[in-house]
Amino acid sequence: MTVSVSAAGQAAAPAHRRRRVEWGDAVLNLYVVVFFAYMFLPLLFMVAAAFNQSPMPSVTDWQGFTLKWFEELPGDTRFVQGLMHSLLIAGGVIVLSIPLGVAGAMILTRMQSRANTLLYTVLVSPVLMPGVVLGVTTMIFWRDFFSVQAGLFTAAIAQTSFIASYCMLMLMARLQRQDRTLEEAALDLGASPLFLFRRVTLPFLMPTILTACVISFLQSIENYNTTFFAIGSSWTLVTEIGSRMRFGLSPMINAIGVIFVAITIIVAVTHTLLTRRKG
Amino acid sequence: MHALIKTYGRGLTVLFVALVAAWVLLMILVPGVRTIQRAFIYEDRAGETAMIAIEIDRAYTEKFQLDQEAADLHAQAEAESAPSSGVPSFGAPSMGGPTIGVPGAGPSGGAAARLSPADRDARLAEIAAKVATLEGRIADLEAREDTSSGEAGMKERYSFENFTTMSMVHVRIFVLTLFYALCVTVLSFLICYPVAFVAATTRSKGKLTVMLLLLVIPYAINELLRIFSWVMILEKNGILNSLFDALGFIDLEAGEGIRFVASNGAVFLVMVYAYVLFMVFPIYNTIDTLDPNQLEAARDLGASSWRIHTRVVIPHAKPGIAVGAIMTFMLSAGSIAAPEIVGRGLHPDWFSQLIYRRFFEADSWNQGSAYSLALLVACVIFIFATMRIFKVGIRDIAK
Repeated sequence: MTVSVSAAGQAAAPAHRRRRVEWGDAVLNLYVVVFFAYMFLPLLFMVAAAFNQSPMPSVTDWQGFTLKWFEELPGDTRFVQGLMHSLLIAGGVIVLSIPLGVAGAMILTRMQSRANTLLYTVLVSPVLMPGVVLGVTTMIFWRDFFSVQAGLFTAAIAQTSFIASYCMLMLMARLQRQDRTLEEAALDLGASPLFLFRRVTLPFLMPTILTACVISFLQSIENYNTTFFAIGSSWTLVTEIGSRMRFGLSPMINAIGVIFVAITIIVAVTHTLLTRRKG
Repeated sequence: MHALIKTYGRGLTVLFVALVAAWVLLMILVPGVRTIQRAFIYEDRAGETAMIAIEIDRAYTEKFQLDQEAADLHAQAEAESAPSSGVPSFGAPSMGGPTIGVPGAGPSGGAAARLSPADRDARLAEIAAKVATLEGRIADLEAREDTSSGEAGMKERYSFENFTTMSMVHVRIFVLTLFYALCVTVLSFLICYPVAFVAATTRSKGKLTVMLLLLVIPYAINELLRIFSWVMILEKNGILNSLFDALGFIDLEAGEGIRFVASNGAVFLVMVYAYVLFMVFPIYNTIDTLDPNQLEAARDLGASSWRIHTRVVIPHAKPGIAVGAIMTFMLSAGSIAAPEIVGRGLHPDWFSQLIYRRFFEADSWNQGSAYSLALLVACVIFIFATMRIFKVGIRDIAK
């Protein structure tokens, strides 16, 4: 008798609680929808204004559909040159960051010493520093010690100082999952250290290196804070967009925005589909 | 180190060490130390450099006036050499009845208006000679300025003056910037925690994929563009004011639009929007590793939702919250994009703007270094405080 009563009580309580949980879930889901509206509505406005004929970016004052803001983009030499500068810097950043990241990851995962944590802290610190500070210190260093004026070179170096840290963190995560016995086997079978690195370690790291290249590229192209301070009188696409935004709004910026948004969505969706198929 | 040499040989090990050493020295430590050193060197600017700068300014003004006069004279000569063209050409003040002196050209402009061709040539030659001497003088002065603005000319001394001469206005901006950054951090956490929780605990794979995609897209879209999209909303003729107009709160045509932009509040709101996603991902990643059975168990044992979150989920998510808080705080305290774009560069009400002005407008690199150092120290203190509060180590933070 007592058994059946307690069983009934147990069955009733979760049902009651489950209803409460469902209510909570509904509120949570509603909140998530509101959150995404908050994230995307401003972007929608920005995209819509790129197709408006009004010379001021606007969606409330609709003067008709046009593509002219896109057509004007290739003729704008500062934007085109800025894009070239951005690509140049990004290339330099990748070339520098990947070797630095690999070297840092190798040392930190293989070295067992007390200096390890200290070195780790130093190498990771650029990620945790404000971009302003990175840009300023790089600019000062190269001018004071090598008389190099701020420009594309210092911008690339300033970006590398923290992008290399990201690469290193990604490669460290990969190296920690490595099966060391493979390397030992190769060595036992008489492989030279260089051969081992080239044929065992590098192939194992390759997928991560490729991802790191893509992430370094995106980080470099999109960076504003650090670049703004380190680039001197030169400019990249993003710093040019920034200065246009300050000195007067133009739907051309919205047009560039649309291109950025489109590329982002395409890359994100492709990446999701690819990983989904694999997983 | 031995393990490294044993596996990869001396050559590769040396290469790795050299690369890391170059990275640490050339990109992190020495630049940092040099900036700190500059922050503690006070430049006495009342001295020679300032005088030279004033002289250069004067010489340029004089040269500009002479160039103007020469241009006037040339225009006059051209006008006289082709007088029968019939069409009144502009730039010739002597044509068309009474002489209207070139407005604003000063006495020299007036004098240039009435000269015979011979006098004019003489005057032109004189001007050319004067300009040549002025150019020589400017070059000389600028060379002296270059040497004196370095270590040689300026009176420099080690002191705390770069910090102590910070005006009260700047100190206030510094404190406010940190305060706002702290508020952005707390608000971002409150806004994104439920989203991270839902994403991490959902059982439907499709829902998770969609949610992550919807989070990644705005995260990957350039910060500047995301900030810019808010300018359109907050502007005087923007979307928000149009909405208020439609609701009848204000009358846009009567010019009652509220100027939201260029206020600290607007910068604050836009920052929350721009940096909230830097909080979502670390928190999502940590809640994702929480065993769902723990939630189930807590629920079965009768814990309320509030207690489940404060006693199970949040303690588990501590490292993620710490990372998110550090990133959000650092980004908003050091943000230059949001205050420059939303504030239109008019209001130097954010500390990063002050740093920019010290470097590129006041041309006072040492004071700029001092300001950067102040910002950096504030961020480091925040990082250590967060690590202490959430009881996480540096290894947990940078993942």
